[in-house]
Amino acid sequence: MTTPQNSAGAAAPAPVLAVDLVTDPAALPALGALARALEAAGIGALTLSDGGLHPVHVAAHLAPATTALGLLPRTDAVHVEPFHLATQLMSLDHVAAGRAGWLLAVEDTPEAAHAVGREVLGAEAAAQEAADVLTASRLVWDSWAEDAEVRDAERGLYIDAARLQYADFEGETFSVRGPAITPRSPQGVLPVLLADADRAAAGEKVAEQLADGRALDVDLTGLDLTSPDLTDPQAAGDQLRAVVAGELEAAVRGDGASAVRLVRLVGLDLSGDPQALAARLGALAASLREDDLVAPAPAAGTDLRAQLGLPAAVRDEDPARRADRARLAAAASTTEESR
Amino acid sequence: MTAVPTLPALSEEAQGLATGPVEHPLHPEHTPTGQLSFGAFFQGVNSSTVWRSERSGSQIAWESFETLIRTAERGRFAAFFLGEGLRLREHRGVPLELDVAGRPDAQTLLAGLAAITESIGLVATQNTTYNDPVDLARRLQTLDLLSGGRAGWNIVTTDNAWTGENFRRGGYLDHEDRYVHAEAFVKVAQQLWRGEQIDHHGQHYDVAARGTLPRSAQGEPVLFQAGASPAGQAFAGRTADVIFSPHGTLAAAADFRRSVVDATIAAGRDPQAVKILPGAEIILGATDAEAEEKRIWVRDHQIGPQQAIALLEQYWGRDLSDFDPDGPLPDVEPEIEQSDVTRGAGFQFAKAKELTAAWRAEAAEKGLSILEFAREKSGARRGEFVGSYDRVADRLGQFAALGAIDGLNITPWLIPSGLDDIVDHLVPRLQERGIYPTEYAGTTLRENLGLPPVQG
Repeated sequence: MTTPQNSAGAAAPAPVLAVDLVTDPAALPALGALARALEAAGIGALTLSDGGLHPVHVAAHLAPATTALGLLPRTDAVHVEPFHLATQLMSLDHVAAGRAGWLLAVEDTPEAAHAVGREVLGAEAAAQEAADVLTASRLVWDSWAEDAEVRDAERGLYIDAARLQYADFEGETFSVRGPAITPRSPQGVLPVLLADADRAAAGEKVAEQLADGRALDVDLTGLDLTSPDLTDPQAAGDQLRAVVAGELEAAVRGDGASAVRLVRLVGLDLSGDPQALAARLGALAASLREDDLVAPAPAAGTDLRAQLGLPAAVRDEDPARRADRARLAAAASTTEESR
Repeated sequence: MTAVPTLPALSEEAQGLATGPVEHPLHPEHTPTGQLSFGAFFQGVNSSTVWRSERSGSQIAWESFETLIRTAERGRFAAFFLGEGLRLREHRGVPLELDVAGRPDAQTLLAGLAAITESIGLVATQNTTYNDPVDLARRLQTLDLLSGGRAGWNIVTTDNAWTGENFRRGGYLDHEDRYVHAEAFVKVAQQLWRGEQIDHHGQHYDVAARGTLPRSAQGEPVLFQAGASPAGQAFAGRTADVIFSPHGTLAAAADFRRSVVDATIAAGRDPQAVKILPGAEIILGATDAEAEEKRIWVRDHQIGPQQAIALLEQYWGRDLSDFDPDGPLPDVEPEIEQSDVTRGAGFQFAKAKELTAAWRAEAAEKGLSILEFAREKSGARRGEFVGSYDRVADRLGQFAALGAIDGLNITPWLIPSGLDDIVDHLVPRLQERGIYPTEYAGTTLRENLGLPPVQG
């Protein structure tokens, strides 16, 4: 296997170690304790895969209980109202103080389509839809400037419309006017990653151009972290390390949209004692960090973009989409008339 | 009962006092519980929240929501409400800059708040027009499970194409079809919650799905509804657990109770089945005079000269910036162009001419300036309870004894400290009078509102 060179300056740092939680309602009672224990053990992020409970809400529920963990719901981009999804995700970023990300999924099953009264799109159309929903979401997230809320008592202005812009997104199957109903979130634009499990369905455009990076999936299905053989966390950590390090070393690290920014441990049975599970996974994290195979444990208050090695989002200001354009146009036409 | 002295400084409307003798019981089929529940309604938009104050905190920071909901839970509030945004309000084609704007997605925030609270209900306003029923129902059920049975859904409808510009369907629903659509929508949601096979083929959508999540501790989310129109009341009679339309006077509240009980009976339900928690603003002081002073301060800070002009511009549909806010109402005719109205206000354009003429006459008769008129209108719309702690407690005691209401859904006028004096001074007085809970009755919203177990 050849390893292509990352383009100069765009090299991704060592990826963040994430654990995937499936949002099964049976897991609910222990969920908060598990998230806190994993955070204390130095895990970098949780991804929330859909097991019934809505992943965005489960992520929001875990946010107040944690201070450093990245929280990435893995949720469908296709059979959704793009404006609602964008609002939910940026709201998660508010609740999580900048620790939110989106693991974009593409569900083109008959069940998903019929639940919203649509027909199965087919691979190509579903991929295009996902690309459009992602693009529209970013336009919504980016629609308020950080300083849009001016609270200028003198002029009587709570917000300054000149610091907002419309999304003005026109896709093939939907359009979104904007601006967001929600002020700019702490990260401004959320990091959007694509897990290996979703790579094929998401299509080339999302995978190779639009995503902020790749989540390398390491499947640990069948591994029993609580088996008597693994009562010693160190022994468990070593056994896990053998699998995870091997996959990490074999993976093409990639660059741009394909850069591996997250390592996602999937298929783990997390139904046991949270402290015991966290001790074993913590030993794995420590072991991987000895060789800089994964990023350091995040400090409280680190935003997810920084943890993933992504630059802070810079707002893309577009004069044509300024939210006060109607007023500007009216003023211009008045000036014209008075000439 | 304590005699209520007349307060010349307070309008009757502002006091929410009875305007005449009220029959008791209000309805032969309705038995008052004599008890009240409170909800806290975080508006997140419009002029109800004072932002021109040093004490006004962030409208979006987690800490604001945390402070507010912890105060409400300390005061044994039954529920914490969040509104829903579908499109940022605009005025004359530009996002409205004068009022508080910008709020989070209701359910995402409530899912977070569920983690830091134990007993208070978590209610999200969610519309039936621009949501998919299966998706919305699943999210509500998720919130219900995450909170251990504390979720509520405030069902609203909308129909304008301007809002639709943010959504797949655009403007697709006729105004008169709103409740037909809403009712079919709610039925699909209930089927999902009950794990039934959904195979809905209706006028507005086709849905096939099956619920997979377990029942919550309260069975399923509590249904709130705000519609005060006849169609809205009929819908509520068939569907809702709680109604929270505002009405400023005891007489109006009594009338509303009668008509809601009628609608509930007509739908074949128990006459006690629907609770009424009108929206209200409570302004308190140690004395009546202090409360009145505060009321004036609040109103002045809610509605400034620019908001007063903007309010009239909504109805006149034209630029009125040349008119003096301290002068009489504009003597020009409205231009009822859709493009010139602050969207999201739900205003019927056809009524503009009639309404503006009536307002001109009313303001002239009362000798009110534009600013004074706008402030009066806004207070009346909100339903106010103003006075000393004891006065408001006594007045609420009257409402409770008659069974006109089952509680109030209170909009704090300051974030995040706007519930402090209510919880510290009013709630203990209501508890002393035996008309307000000293502890939560149970762990679910349904229990804490005194609702029967869910049917179905």
